[in-house]
Amino acid sequence: MQNYTKYKLKSAEELAPFLAGADKIFVLACNKCFKEFESVDEPDCEEFLKIAAEQGKTITGSAKVDFLCNKTQTLKKLELPEGTESVFVVSCGLGVQTIADSVKVPVYAAANSLNYRGHHGMALTKKVCDACAQCYLNVTGGICPVIDCSKGLLNGQCGGAKDGKCEVDPNRDCAWEKIEQRLKKQGRLREFLDQPVQTRDYSKVNFKTISEFVTAARESRLDGYYGGVHPSERKELSEHLPLVRFPEPDEVVIPLSMHSGAPANPTVKAGDAVKVGQKIGEAAAFISGNVHSSVSGTVIAVEPRLHPTKGGNVLSVVIKNDKKNEIAETVKPYGDIDTLSAEQIVDVVKESGIVGMGGAGFPTSVKLVPNKPIDAVLLNGCECEPMLTADHRVLLEYADDVIYGLRAMMKTVSAPKGIIVIEDNKPDAVALMQAKVEGIEGVEVVVARTKYPQGAEKMLIKRVMGRQVPSGGLPADVGAVVGNVSTAKAIADAIKTGMPLVERVVTVTGERIARPGNYIVKIGTSVKELIDYCGGVTGDDVTIKTGGPMMGVEVTDTNVPVIKATNGVIAYDKDHTEAVSCIKCGRCVDVCPMELEPLYFAKFHDEGNWQGMADMNVRDCLECRCCEYICSSKIPLVAKIKAGKSAIMEMNKK
Amino acid sequence: MLATKLKSKETIVSLITGKAFIINCHGCKEVGFPEKEATELQKELAAEGRVTGIFTTDYICNPENMKLRLDLHKAEIDAADTVLVFSCGVGVQTVSEYLETKRVLAACDTYALPGGQGVTPLEYDCKQCGECYLNLTGGICPLTACSKSLVNGQCGGAKDGKCEVDPNMECGWERIQRRLKMVGRLDALKCPVQIRNYGNEVDAAE
Repeated sequence: MQNYTKYKLKSAEELAPFLAGADKIFVLACNKCFKEFESVDEPDCEEFLKIAAEQGKTITGSAKVDFLCNKTQTLKKLELPEGTESVFVVSCGLGVQTIADSVKVPVYAAANSLNYRGHHGMALTKKVCDACAQCYLNVTGGICPVIDCSKGLLNGQCGGAKDGKCEVDPNRDCAWEKIEQRLKKQGRLREFLDQPVQTRDYSKVNFKTISEFVTAARESRLDGYYGGVHPSERKELSEHLPLVRFPEPDEVVIPLSMHSGAPANPTVKAGDAVKVGQKIGEAAAFISGNVHSSVSGTVIAVEPRLHPTKGGNVLSVVIKNDKKNEIAETVKPYGDIDTLSAEQIVDVVKESGIVGMGGAGFPTSVKLVPNKPIDAVLLNGCECEPMLTADHRVLLEYADDVIYGLRAMMKTVSAPKGIIVIEDNKPDAVALMQAKVEGIEGVEVVVARTKYPQGAEKMLIKRVMGRQVPSGGLPADVGAVVGNVSTAKAIADAIKTGMPLVERVVTVTGERIARPGNYIVKIGTSVKELIDYCGGVTGDDVTIKTGGPMMGVEVTDTNVPVIKATNGVIAYDKDHTEAVSCIKCGRCVDVCPMELEPLYFAKFHDEGNWQGMADMNVRDCLECRCCEYICSSKIPLVAKIKAGKSAIMEMNKK
Repeated sequence: MLATKLKSKETIVSLITGKAFIINCHGCKEVGFPEKEATELQKELAAEGRVTGIFTTDYICNPENMKLRLDLHKAEIDAADTVLVFSCGVGVQTVSEYLETKRVLAACDTYALPGGQGVTPLEYDCKQCGECYLNLTGGICPLTACSKSLVNGQCGGAKDGKCEVDPNMECGWERIQRRLKMVGRLDALKCPVQIRNYGNEVDAAE
């Protein structure tokens, strides 16, 4: 692997004049980037400390940092010890400038930057590009004359080459000979010769253009919260399609575990007749959830069945649908927000088996009894996952119910404010909700610039309230309760009609689904039925997931049911790549919204260093997959992180 | 880090002689890639029947993965006489080497953004000169902050603190002077005359 290490320590002689005038030195060393990620320890810091000691200098402290030029992360960690009078930075020029820009004491460079020809690609290939802003590759058969010709000639050979070798450097091939051969192969020699003379316009790369790029990129990276990514949205496949009620399934398989916490205990047995909304599973603990039948008919089995997200079989109630849709006697309106007390509303939510419908499945009733004062209920209408449009359609078609549900949640936690957060890629939903909340006290709409994973509760709180949920903490710790718009709609239904959570909106989409759509689907309906109804999957080599492409779970057997948290069923092209080793490109660190260093999780996982992973706060990881998405080596980071988390849990048990 | 802009529509259209297979690289999208403009243009080209296939992926600069992915589109590539690559120059060169006999063309121009790692560019740059001057300039690089890369002080051409070469730019030497004053090191300007030794540009790959 090519090593693009960026600096070399200055010699003792070079450093002497600067050390002479400095004392009480703090040393900051960068762990180097763009190199094989083998060791964490670079020797340069120690070498410098030795040189400084030989000169009799007092050292106030030293630190080794990864990606020193990552300003946000570096400044978070950087604290100069009391009495520090100067800082020596062992890094490339970028690291030195980052520190010089940020501290009040003199900053010195202890290293010289190394040069590499042109800009390499993120995958550390030898292919180079001078970024001239006027790509000549179209004229030269895809060989760059600026980089490959030592003289950067644009209009043909200089004539000095001998035996195909450059006259400047006999180790190099003459680029123009290579270009000629390539063009010949493609039968494009004439095309080249007919080209007008090329001139290089150096003003194309100017301060304004570059600073515009930089400002835009920095703004979007740090907008609202650190990091995040912008995957292609691909929502145009289904966002315009109105909700359609999915045809009655012949049979439903309802898992007794569709929530985080303990599975529910079954309250029916094979042979029992059930009706829509009838309780078939009783919450087994404080963190658990009731389960209800989504159809009327006969229970044919209570047995373990394949679960879409838990990876294995889970006790489920299998019901034959008589398609009569008889409603259970227990289903009747509870009243309305004004007549019900806060406690009563929480009971309704609990009784109705309502859990977080954004994907997490955390029992909503538990969220609604926080032990801290709440300033605001945030409703997540971001739907930041690519492809999914279920929440978007809910906002458009059930706007009043969403607001009703939000007001109910506000009442339970006595929150003065309710905020519906919608990303700016859904202007129709923004306009509708803004009109709907007009005149409703305490309820407002916040439009957020699209950036994944905006819908994660910690990101949402930071974006909207500017507050940081502490490591290991809950939203309530900073006075917030976060819910999904579909959850709010389910709460409204429960209060107004008494119907528990037995159906939900599911987006069936992806380039490989023949006819995408948004459906109101009964819980327990088979994913296979959904896909078949949408015309099936086209072609081979398809990845099928429940949920979105980022946080969704791959299903290899589509005979799994839609559960309370299934917001989508997607099918798209399988990715054909293989992981290669980490090159310390630093991209995962730049995009991790929790400000972690995912590259270490992969390294420590492979070494079995679970303590190392725990020390780097792996438990704070949301598993949002930003790191894996951006990884230029295609390392399956999330799988490694999950394995690490379970290993740490095992370790802590002992 | 590299960012890209589309070449003009006329240029791109003129590149396609018959039908084109289109490759989009989204690897550096977070740094800068004209996704919306590229999609729109490609839709137009497809509607005119000038496209055999569109393939969007990332990091085509990684030859192994690029090959694995591209092989799946062999038929579409064979049917096209031009492969139009929407990526930086590194990506175009990688594809071009792999499909050596094919007309592989670039639809974008490439810009280098300052900053080393990750996807977040920095406001300042490093020229990798191999003889860091930052010790004499308060940590502001005279090679990148001064449009003339002067290493011994201002040229005298700045007006109201703006560079005479590019009035969008602040005079680097005025910034250096301010910084040195702030950290109490104005005496650093009394150093001997600096001579840039271009032979010091040590190549990292060697």
